[in-house]
Amino acid sequence: MKTTYSLIALAALLAASTAQAQSSGDWLVKAGANQIAPKVSSDELSPPALPDTRIDVEAKTALIFTAAYMWTDNVSFEFFGGLPYKHDIVGDGAIEGIKLGKVKQVSPTLLAQYRFGRPDDMFRPYVGAGVTYAYFYGTEGSAALTATTNPGGPPTTSEVDSKWAVSFQLGLNVKIDDHWFVDASLIKTPLKTTTHLSTGQSIATKLDPLSFGLAVGYRFR
Amino acid sequence: MMTRKVLIRSLGLLAAAVLAACGGGEDAGNQNPKVAYSRLVSFGDSLSDVGSYKVSGVAAAGGGKFTVNGGDDRIWVERLSQTLGLGAPCAAQTGLNAIQAVVGFPPVPATNHSGCYAYAQGGARVTNPVGPGNALLFNPADSTSYGNAIGALTRPLASQVAGHLAANGGSFGGDELVAVMAGGNDSIVNTAIFGATVAAGGDPATAAAAATTAVTAAATELVALIKDQILAKGAQRVIVVNLPDLSQTPAYAGQDAAVVAVVAGLVQAFNNTVASGVGSDARVLIIDAYTIDRDQNANPARYALADVTRPACGETSSLLCSLVTIAANNAGGDFKYADGVHPTPFTHQLLAQLVAVGMAQRGWL
Repeated sequence: MKTTYSLIALAALLAASTAQAQSSGDWLVKAGANQIAPKVSSDELSPPALPDTRIDVEAKTALIFTAAYMWTDNVSFEFFGGLPYKHDIVGDGAIEGIKLGKVKQVSPTLLAQYRFGRPDDMFRPYVGAGVTYAYFYGTEGSAALTATTNPGGPPTTSEVDSKWAVSFQLGLNVKIDDHWFVDASLIKTPLKTTTHLSTGQSIATKLDPLSFGLAVGYRFR
Repeated sequence: MMTRKVLIRSLGLLAAAVLAACGGGEDAGNQNPKVAYSRLVSFGDSLSDVGSYKVSGVAAAGGGKFTVNGGDDRIWVERLSQTLGLGAPCAAQTGLNAIQAVVGFPPVPATNHSGCYAYAQGGARVTNPVGPGNALLFNPADSTSYGNAIGALTRPLASQVAGHLAANGGSFGGDELVAVMAGGNDSIVNTAIFGATVAAGGDPATAAAAATTAVTAAATELVALIKDQILAKGAQRVIVVNLPDLSQTPAYAGQDAAVVAVVAGLVQAFNNTVASGVGSDARVLIIDAYTIDRDQNANPARYALADVTRPACGETSSLLCSLVTIAANNAGGDFKYADGVHPTPFTHQLLAQLVAVGMAQRGWL
């Protein structure tokens, strides 16, 4: 909360600035909602497992905060942070529909961007590319996960490998006034990871998440 | 410039807040099944028997279940019971009509145990009271019948269900899980009759047709038992596990092709008759053990099975087979079969897994 207050105070302090929008040396911060929708393609669970035992990971929306620095009038660097996402893991294939558990994830991302147009344009589309660290933690199992992997055994727990990945971004920045703007951004992150179960089994999964975020931003100079 | 410093400090705070939210490691989550069951009531044969004959010399030999006894020797019913949070099931009736002169240990009268709901007994058929292992099949003149001197009670499913109803006010509570698995012994006995008839010069086609008729009748009787004595008496959740493919078990390996074909056909006839007879009923879940059993033989690696052809217990009946017995046979991996027809504890785990998947998909777990 302290952070939020600082940002609001900053915004008030700087509201009188009259420089051109989004030019070299500016900082752009934004806050909004971001949905991460994994486009899952899962391998089969390693033995012993029923044929076609696969998993799916469901989409989740969370708050997002980003900060971008305008290096030139067109080139910027943007850092994505935000609150953790808690995704549901459900069965697919032979175990379709079974709610298996949950995994939390934060994926800090640093993107280099090219913003088309001129600093004071109302609409500035942009493209970006960069690196993401997909950090998975806080996994949670279930009675169904235990029953379908080691029935009658000790509760099955899981661990998801955290991974570095490359991200690609398409975005659009719409100016409201000299300071305020709204922003829409689409990020694709090809990402393959492996989930390990306490039973010794593992399952490799292509997550390839697509993130869509809508945010309101403020320009500092 | 000062504002930029403040901004960077703010971002630092934000990063700290995000990291602080990153607590927690691996959590097993809620292990309670979706449905709270009062008990697991199981009816069946050796594949579901949790120790009906674990008395007298069988117990003394370290045996008692139709698998490799000792260590973690839980069979699928025991794993299922623990999955439901119900603890270890106990045999509803124990005893042995052993022929002491042959087996060397005294008979133990059949005793009912109140509060125990695992009714399945090795050798049990659907309605016929005399199944494999029953002392009535012992014939001093026929050495191949000597295994029956063990004196298995072989209380058929019809009597198992009747016994449960009699002990529980004539009805099911509706909050129990009922497990049914039967028909293997009817298939085995009728295959043996086919073999004997043909060996005695009978017409194979006629003998095969008679076997099919008999097994189909047993399956029809099981359907009636499920509908009239289990569902109609109030059971709300019944799992029916169909028969594995007996023709692919070690017991039939190397046997006459006609015999193998007959037992294969009988298992299919039994399974098809039960599936169509029960039909689609929200209270019944049919577990297709047949398909997975065959897939285990075709793709053993998928199931982490090292050997799907040899019995881990060698020539010993699994009822008397323990970890001590199999030491010489252990190839360092998991065997599928304990003896000619019975699964090892590991194969039982796979069956429990299959049942659990079906139940979870139905919302029963």
